[in-house]
Parts: sequence; C-alpha cells; structure tokens
Amino acid sequence: MSKVVIDHLARVEGHGGITVELEGDTVGSVQFDVFEGARLLEPLVRGKRYDEVAPVLSRICSICSAAHTLTSLKATENAFGVRVSPQTDLLRELMFRGESIESHALHLFLLAAPDYLNYPSAIALSADKPAVVMLGLRLKKLGNMIQETIGGRAVHPVNAVPGGFGRAPAIEQLIELRSALMQGVADSDAAMDVMASLPPAEFCHYDTVYAALRTPSLDSYYAGDEVMVVSDGSRAIVHATDYKTLSNERAVPHSHAKHSAFRDKPFMVGALARLTVNPRRVTGKLAVAKKRLKLQLPADNPMDNNKAQALELINDVERALEIIEQLLRAGVKDEPPVPIQPRAATGTAITEAPRGLLIHSYTYDAGGRITAADVITPTAFNAASMELHFRKAVEQSAERDDATLSRKLQMIARAYDPCISCSVHLLRRK
Amino acid sequence: MSKPTVGIFGLTGCAGDQLVILNCEDRLLDLVALIDVREFLMASSENDTACKLDLALVEGAVVSQRDADRLLAIRERAKILVALGTCAVWGGVAAMDRGADRRKLLEEVYGEQGFSYDTQATKALHEVVKVDLNITGCPIEKDHIVTAIANLLNGDLPVYPTYPVCTECRMQENNCLLMERGEICCGPITAAGCKARCPELRVPCVGCRGPVHDANPVSLAAMLAERGFDREAVATRLRTFSPEGVAQ
Repeated sequence: MSKVVIDHLARVEGHGGITVELEGDTVGSVQFDVFEGARLLEPLVRGKRYDEVAPVLSRICSICSAAHTLTSLKATENAFGVRVSPQTDLLRELMFRGESIESHALHLFLLAAPDYLNYPSAIALSADKPAVVMLGLRLKKLGNMIQETIGGRAVHPVNAVPGGFGRAPAIEQLIELRSALMQGVADSDAAMDVMASLPPAEFCHYDTVYAALRTPSLDSYYAGDEVMVVSDGSRAIVHATDYKTLSNERAVPHSHAKHSAFRDKPFMVGALARLTVNPRRVTGKLAVAKKRLKLQLPADNPMDNNKAQALELINDVERALEIIEQLLRAGVKDEPPVPIQPRAATGTAITEAPRGLLIHSYTYDAGGRITAADVITPTAFNAASMELHFRKAVEQSAERDDATLSRKLQMIARAYDPCISCSVHLLRRK
Repeated sequence: MSKPTVGIFGLTGCAGDQLVILNCEDRLLDLVALIDVREFLMASSENDTACKLDLALVEGAVVSQRDADRLLAIRERAKILVALGTCAVWGGVAAMDRGADRRKLLEEVYGEQGFSYDTQATKALHEVVKVDLNITGCPIEKDHIVTAIANLLNGDLPVYPTYPVCTECRMQENNCLLMERGEICCGPITAAGCKARCPELRVPCVGCRGPVHDANPVSLAAMLAERGFDREAVATRLRTFSPEGVAQ
C-alpha cells in the first residue's frame, strides 16, 4: 500500500493536511486532516452578556471575522426579537460585500492563482507579473476599505453591535468609498480576464450537491432564513431553525471524525454553490462574465469555485455601489442602536460568509447571558465534500506519481478556499 | 549586506495578525523587497523550514504539544523572536480556559473522542520560550508591524505607547462611556495604540489589546461595583482577552 501525504497545506488559512491511501490502483482512505489547536470558544463564551458574544466569536477566524460578527449579532437579535433599521440592514450587507471582495481577492490572487502559473507564492509571481499581483492587492484593499469604513476595522470589526452600529459612516466617507468602487468596477473586470486566461484545471468531475442561503432578493449574503440544497436537478429547502438536518453529523468509516451531509450526501458551500442555488442572479454583465469564464451551472468541477469567486467579485463591487447609492439617496442617519430587551430564548442565524453557509445558534437566559452557543462554519460543511472530491481526483487521474497527485489535491483543497481555524470544532482529528 | 532572513508563523489562533501583514497592500511588495522571507506557510508553498532566521514573527497561542514543539524549534532557529498579537502576548480569547475544567469542555465539544486529542491549557509564547519583543493587539495594528520591521532593520527596537486607551480617548475629546454613560469600558486598563478605535465609535473598549503596564483592574472593578455592576459581570468582561496573572 502506498500513501500520498501532504503534511501541512500551504497558502490556506490555518493548519491542515491531506492523506490518501492507495492499494494498487484502488483508492483506500482519504482524509482531510486538521491539526489546528482546540480553543473551545463555544463553551468558553458561556456566561457572557449578549453584547460580549460577537467580539469573542469573531475571533474564530480573521478572514471571515465580519461574517462571524454579523451572523452572531443576527442570532442574538433573532433570540430577543429585535428588528434593526433598514439602514442597519444595508450597512451590514455592505460590510459583507467588503469582506467578500477582500477574501476573494486574497484567495484568487495570493493563494490560488500561483498554482495555475506554477509559482510558489504571489511574492514570487510579482517578480514576473507585477501588474497581476498589484491588481489583486488593489481589490483586496478596496474590500478592506469598505470593512474599515463601515465596521471600524478590517479584521475583527468593532462598530457593528447588537441593534445596529456604534456610529454610522459620514456621507463624505461613503462618497470616498464610491470613488474607490468605481475603480473597483474596472479592476473586477480585469480580475475576471486574468481568471479566464488561466490554463484549465480539469482533474475532477463529479455530480456535486450544493447548498446556499435562499434569499428573497436572490442576491443577499445577510438577509434570509432558509437554505436551499440543489442535488441532481431537485431542490430542497431547510429553515434556519432546522439547521441540524444539514449539520447532522455522521460517522464515516475511514475516520473518527463526523461530517455534514444532507440526505446522506456531502454537499459543497461557497461561491459556486451560491450561483447554483440562485442562478437567476447571473444576468447582464454577470452573464457575459460567466461565458468568458466558460462556467457551466450546475458545475461538476470543484475548481470552478475559483471562477465563481471571480464572477462574484464583479457582482460584489456592483452590489456595494448600489447600496451606497441607496444610502446616499436616503441620507445616512446617525441613529443609536435599537435598545435590547433580553429574554430567555434561542436564536439561530444563517448567512453567506465568503466561503459559504455560516450558522450561529445561541440560547440566552432571562438576564441576557448566553447559556449555549453552536457555530457551524463553511469549511466544516465542506469537509466531507472536499474528501469526496479528493477521492474522485485520484481515481480519475491517469498519472499516479506523488508529485502529480499532490499538486492536484492541493489545488482542489485551495479551490475550496478552506478556513481551517473556522472548521476546527467539527473536524479536528489528530 | 545580505537581507535579513525572516520567518512568519502562526500557532493556534485566527491568523489575523498574518492577515494584517498581507493587508499592508500598499507597502507589501516594498516590505518584502527589504527582507528575505524564507518561511510563510500561509502565503507560500515553498518554505525553508530549517534555516537560521534573523527574525521570527509568531502569532497565535500555544494550545497543543504540536504548538509547543513548533515554537521551541522556531526559537532555536531565530535570533529575534517577536510575539505577534494578543494571543501570542497574553494567551488571548482561548486563555479564558484558565481555571476551567478543560477535560469537561473538551468532552462537551467533541465527546469522548476529545480525550485523545493533542491539547493543553492555553499559554502565551513567553510562558514557553524567551520572547524578544511583544506587539500586542487583536489584531495588531498595521503601522506597528511596519514600524517594527523598519526599526529592527536598523538595529533598534520599536517603541509603543505605555499609557492606556483612556489617554488616547481623552486626547480625541470623546465623551467618556464609563463615567458619562455608565458602560463597562476597559479603556482605563487596556494598552493604547489603537487610537481608541472603539470608544471613538461610541462602543466600549473590550480590552482586546491586553492590559497596559501598571494596569489596576482592582480599582476599575471597585469603581464599576460602585456604579451598580455586579462583580462577576465585570470580572468576565475584564478576563476576555487576557487571563489574570500572565505577567510579562
């Protein structure tokens, strides 16, 4: 029996590896190993007052810290029956877009693209193709600028609080953002051109099940309480309060870890899943981009998640501009957060973090202290699907040498854009 | 002169301090041109994992034997070891486990399987190895890491504020959230350097940068008790980012 082992995945967030066992031509066990330390934040947050929960649980992950913060607030507000103002809803969606722009730019240009062009890093790539790396950094900066303006800080935002915001952005700040986003329109088009020019990565085809937030407007990362699962042309809807049917942890024969599955099938979350679940979102400019990227929906190649992120970059910039126009038209009010009346209750929130579905579910006591917290992250949802795609890639590979297999496995892992700090509590197994 | 060799590492944490380095978008390419980055797993798949390092930047806390072993190996290789961020400097949010029954918490999250994991009580870096410089913050401030590298390249140590967030907040003439609005604000005992980012936005300080030198949490707790907050509520707030008794 031989083994392909990737000890420590590079160019991803956190500490993980891949182990594939081969018996002759047969693929034995396939494992996505996570050896990130256990921080036990869910039990440690117990006893905190409702306004202290988001600042602790945002620390689950830096790249998704805005999504963790806002999903945490949504869960808390759902528990207490708080309705935030329309302005707060818009500002939160804008924060999500900023985070998505930053995260996708970081992933596509600094983590994923070097693979396609055979460079070990974006730093190495910048020696030969400085314009490409500068383009990625400019988009990344744009995303951070939105997060700083609205959230008060690019990593672990501070301005979003239960009931609203500490301080609303000034009109001048929004106007400044608008000009930066104008440049972002051109840059996101250019980013799509870069992605369309990369060599194809056709080494894993499989009918994939997708899950994403079902949103009333077809295009929201923040609003909505239902998940849609798309499998083989059929669709199923799961409400937030039934989220455990999605995360129903199942024991898998090849390891001691438990994985997420829906009706016994692993599913993929993230940009590709969002486009598959809400295909009507892809109109106008996005339809043109989809054609340029040669992206078929539903896709059977997990590498297409990179293309989907490129498409979303265009969409996120457009949507952020729309939101700013809307805010400028309505005028930004310096409104205090909605007052919170704690009560003993449970609240669950579902959103779309850059890497896919994110769930926070909390129970509070009558004094507004948290008694239980459950967080399910995109990478935890994706783990079973990643292993499935690793297996298919090895089975479908004509070349079986370590270097080729290892390269393919790492590229698939990166296409999922895993966030291993996030995933820890469902996956840890070393 | 050859460029100094640098390694950038993450132990257990959220990778936020490494992300802040990558977030120096305007200065990133200039910055890496001045140094020779030999190991940076989050950003590169080609790493020299054995070479001697002039400078090791380490974020995250020590939460497993694997973390401890990695940290000892990094210390062995590095002339200067810098603790990056509140987790590395103080233990951070994971260090809320101090005084808790870790075995029980593990069982709660992972079931009995948790007992087989490589996991230990959370430690700051200085509790395991000698640390040459602390850059605190959750996450660190961009300017602080850029200044640190610039100073170290010239053989100097950077200087950071030794006063509390309160001082920065007063300099910006904000209304006091603690005295005037009666909110639990950690500004009086938290290390400055963030330009009082939170109170500036009318959000009370949560103490994410860890305690200021000479912090007097007892006096703050007494003052809050006088204003009617219960002691337990104040204690949980003050202990979120740095446990008691992690002296530097």
